[in-house]
Amino acid sequence: MTSSVGAVLKKYRWQFSGMVAWTLQRVTGILLLLYLLLHVHTISKLSQGPAAFDAAIATFSSPFFKCLEIGLLGVVVLHAFNGIRITLVDLGIGVGKQRQLFWTITVGMGLLVFLAGAIPILLFAVLKVR
Amino acid sequence: MTVLDALIRVQREMDGSIGFRCSCRVGMCGTCAVQVNRIPRLMCSTLVKTLDAEVVTVEPLPHYPVIKDVAVSLAPFFAQWRRAQAAFRPKHADAPTLAIIGKDSRFRQLAATKRDCITCGACYAACSITGMNVRYLGPAAINKALLRVLDPRDAARADRLKTLDQSSDGVWRCHTQFNCTAVCPRKIDLTDSIVRVKRALLRPGKALTV
Amino acid sequence: MSWNALEWYFQRITGGLLLVLLSAHFWVEHYMTAPLRRGDLTFEVIASRVSNPVWRAIDIGFLVVALFHGLNGVRNIILDWGRLGKRAIAAVNVALVLVGVVWAWIGITAFSRL
Repeated sequence: MTSSVGAVLKKYRWQFSGMVAWTLQRVTGILLLLYLLLHVHTISKLSQGPAAFDAAIATFSSPFFKCLEIGLLGVVVLHAFNGIRITLVDLGIGVGKQRQLFWTITVGMGLLVFLAGAIPILLFAVLKVR
Repeated sequence: MTVLDALIRVQREMDGSIGFRCSCRVGMCGTCAVQVNRIPRLMCSTLVKTLDAEVVTVEPLPHYPVIKDVAVSLAPFFAQWRRAQAAFRPKHADAPTLAIIGKDSRFRQLAATKRDCITCGACYAACSITGMNVRYLGPAAINKALLRVLDPRDAARADRLKTLDQSSDGVWRCHTQFNCTAVCPRKIDLTDSIVRVKRALLRPGKALTV
Repeated sequence: MSWNALEWYFQRITGGLLLVLLSAHFWVEHYMTAPLRRGDLTFEVIASRVSNPVWRAIDIGFLVVALFHGLNGVRNIILDWGRLGKRAIAAVNVALVLVGVVWAWIGITAFSRL
């Protein structure tokens, strides 16, 4: 595995947005799976009663974890919008305009949605604006 | 001055032992494909001034065994070519009349955009999947197989589709990174070809109308 | 019948479903159930929502769809590596299905023991 990652880093000029997108999709996908593991574990504490569950929620409500949550939103948005772009390719839409599609959809639209979600979290849960 | 011109000059004036391949010098034969500043290209079609760099680095194409300097063996490329059964197999070998593909037929129109492959090997070199997975068919082989699969005169469609469908090294290993399309000197949309095969495998009855 | 083609197709279908489900989940948890402004999600709030069988079914469905999409993605990463023979691939498939079943089971039973 490392030889292929090393080879990819050394051999290719990363000007091909397709390669950046592919790597991003993989990395964000794995991160999201790991998050899902944590999430299912936390939610399964529901079966241990209010004390255990509320304690877990309290841990994850600290500003530090809320900032991580903003990061999670970024990861989700990247993965989702890149996924939309990939599906468009598979449908044959946007043939010949891949680089533009990556920047407008994955990065552009993604950024908009990210900000729409991140700013409320930042304001209300991290900075505790009332 | 092209990169090929530069290399020939180096060979004549500086080091007569350097090994590289060339033939037609006009971008038609596909022989001189190498990696220039880390992008697979035809040497004869790459003007040095368009590289916009102080230093021009010429390397052998990646994913192929190196024979000498920048001359590589295209054996892996053609092994996949054969595996995808690039050669046409006629339905009616002894037909009394010609099988005509009208110039307005959909096959003809699509084929016109896919059949210019000069087997230069650049796409196979550019693909990051072939770098990891030596058994992956690669864009050129899949493109050629698509051409045959769509051809109404070809007899081996089911066979080819089976090879293309293999989970470990068929079309499903392509993740539409578009490296191949970016480097093809004949401007074939290889990613489009591969996606068409995927769609054909999903709806077998629609293989011809892909 | 190409199983690989179906897997490719369903990876995209589940991706689209997850877009919808995740947006709804985000809205339900952070705006409908317990608005960010008012405070945190507590046991009471969530347990009462999840005791409704419709919500429970949606949540479980969401988990199953996410597990298919995620574990199938892992399968693709492994297959791309390209060093596995046919039997190893079959073993990987079985392993991923097992992981998915166990994971889903943990999620489902979390609700039923409330």
